[in-house]
Amino acid sequence: MHIHAYEKIWLAVSVLLILFLIGSVTYGAVGPGVAMVSDTEPAIDSGGLDEDERFSEPRVEQVGENEYAAYVVARQFTFQPDPIVVPANSTVTFYVTSADVIHGFEVVGTNANAMVVPGEVSELTVKVEEPQEYGLICNEYCGAGHHVMEGKVNVVSQAEYEDRTSGGDGE
Amino acid sequence: MSGDTVSGDTEEFDPIGTLTLIGIYFVILVLSWVYIYYIEFLGRDLVVVG
Repeated sequence: MHIHAYEKIWLAVSVLLILFLIGSVTYGAVGPGVAMVSDTEPAIDSGGLDEDERFSEPRVEQVGENEYAAYVVARQFTFQPDPIVVPANSTVTFYVTSADVIHGFEVVGTNANAMVVPGEVSELTVKVEEPQEYGLICNEYCGAGHHVMEGKVNVVSQAEYEDRTSGGDGE
Repeated sequence: MSGDTVSGDTEEFDPIGTLTLIGIYFVILVLSWVYIYYIEFLGRDLVVVG
């Protein structure tokens, strides 16, 4: 079979491109540690969130050294807690669920972005660094007030976080 | 040249313009990918790690 020289070049370059794309994603997974939003959390009763130990009182709590869990409820048309306050330079795992319809959970301008499905818990872990105020929006149409459904994720300094939590008016 | 080729014309067919065009597309593709993945995606805050 005769293959034109140009075609051989193109075939070789195509294979290299594929290897480069696969290599990039592999690098992302082992280098920066990019992972998927987890769906391993068991299903819960979206109508009984007020009896759920994690979601009856949406909050941020410390679960390890420098590790925090944020239990977030999305409902028409708000996020609870609001704002979500977490300390800087820590690892935060968001557990997000919906009390009514499908919502979105998007920390604006970042890669933290998940669907929020009633009965399911979306789990995503991120590392937060410097103190900063992020916007939080719903990016799945959820009803007449969808466009006003927003919250805040406030990354505050460790000292300020301790002030807030020990002051009793945290969250 | 073996006997089953259609004619000698295939050897003279050197579409250098097409090759160049494909080369340019390829470079655009690679640069776009580098930009989208390494700069826009990995460069943003709050990379999901678990």
